[in-house]
Amino acid sequence: MNRKIFIFLLTFISLYTYSKELNYSYETIADNLSHPWGIAVIDENDLLFTELSGQLRLVEDGLLKPEPIKGVPEVLFAGQGGLSGIILDPNFNLNKKIYIAFSSPDKGKSTNTLEVISAKLSADSLEEVKTIFKASPSRRTAAHYGARMAFLDDGTLLVTSGDGFNYRERAQYLDNHYGKIIRINTDGSIPDDNPFLTRENAKPEIWSYGHRNLQGITVINGIVYENEHGPMGGDELNIAEPSKNYGWPAITYGKDYSGATISPFTEKEGMEQPIKYWVPSIAPSGMAFYDGNLFPEWKGSLLVSALVPGDVRRLTLNGSKVTEEEILFSDLGRIRDVVTSPDGTIILATDGPNGKLIRVVTK
Amino acid sequence: MLINSFNLFISIVLATCLVILQETMSNIFWLISVDMPVSLGIFLNTYFNNLYAMNLSGAIPLIALIAIGFLIAYLVTKIILIWVKVSKSYAYAFAGAAAVLAIVLLMPLAFYNLDILAGGRSILGKSILTFFGLLSGYYFGKKLEKQVVT
Repeated sequence: MNRKIFIFLLTFISLYTYSKELNYSYETIADNLSHPWGIAVIDENDLLFTELSGQLRLVEDGLLKPEPIKGVPEVLFAGQGGLSGIILDPNFNLNKKIYIAFSSPDKGKSTNTLEVISAKLSADSLEEVKTIFKASPSRRTAAHYGARMAFLDDGTLLVTSGDGFNYRERAQYLDNHYGKIIRINTDGSIPDDNPFLTRENAKPEIWSYGHRNLQGITVINGIVYENEHGPMGGDELNIAEPSKNYGWPAITYGKDYSGATISPFTEKEGMEQPIKYWVPSIAPSGMAFYDGNLFPEWKGSLLVSALVPGDVRRLTLNGSKVTEEEILFSDLGRIRDVVTSPDGTIILATDGPNGKLIRVVTK
Repeated sequence: MLINSFNLFISIVLATCLVILQETMSNIFWLISVDMPVSLGIFLNTYFNNLYAMNLSGAIPLIALIAIGFLIAYLVTKIILIWVKVSKSYAYAFAGAAAVLAIVLLMPLAFYNLDILAGGRSILGKSILTFFGLLSGYYFGKKLEKQVVT
């Protein structure tokens, strides 16, 4: 009798686990993409996305338009650099404005920098292209640009600016844009309530500092969540606030790639702690808040795409605490970005020269 | 032969320890500059941790990298010394310096211009690392000279 009960329970648990694991399936929106990087959802069937190699692509009525959108500025496609973050204006339906972040080569020099443009999207090209931010100073490296964007509720734009790898210490100083979150108006001007506006020798665009390579940022009910790559270990999820110092590289949970200790300290007064960190690294690459109804059990979760080993982390939040972490979509390889669609589906960009856009739907 | 191998090994270990010392000091000095509470104990602990981690848990074992550099540089020096009569200590000192400088300069080429050895990012850092290579090479050359004399 006991044996029968045991077999019944085992069968029930197996079936339950199986159904729980496979309550979704994948649909490929587009494949053979050249390093897809950032996605901006227009509506259920339309979206824009960037390819790191320099193309801006449009998916219209669920189908990828064969020709890239024209009028995209020249980008430096090298290392981690290229056409990167993209976001729609909050009034996109009215003004068709978009914002793109990319690594921009300095003409006639071997340096480059993070640049953000605004532009108006017409049928198949960008018009009224205007530079609204250029990180200063320029860099010699082609790494750690950050290059993600999010809008605050007041309509100002946050731009993540990475530490440039070789310039990590500068993340602690306010006279440069390395390792910072930048806050600007959409015309490129500086909001008059930026925290370091009046500080001498500080760049007025700086909103928060002490960051490394921030590749995910999202605003939920006015709270700014950002994730950033640590070195070897020490990837972080932070709640970002104006004027705060997030500590890199004075405090870190990671080690240098050489194995060296970057800092033996993990905390210090005046420096913020992450609400979650990952050791070993997961290489967090993008972030979205799931508020859809298609997967009700995921509603209210933060989705963090990860490059290593390649999955999406679903994080359950309780105030400023992460209470649960679930690994999803671990069979797709490195995932570069994650966004949600108004219909509740989740759209993923897989990384690499043969990348894909994949829609996660219910089975 | 056995003595030469031992001296070569000591030369490589010396260079590795010095390079790690420079790496540790460059990080620690910066931390002090931003008022982090660095003590002698923390410095020593960090150095010994780095000795282990940079050889056994980093992306590339530093000692292996230095060994390859030194072997190539010393081999070239040995060949050159057949024709060119200069002091072995100076010749190998130059070889050691060249080997470390080559490692510091060539590594970024393999990693998108990224300096994996953070201590070698500045010109001063590169100069100190090169000097440590020079010292290690000088040690090896001096040992070879002593063997010839005895």
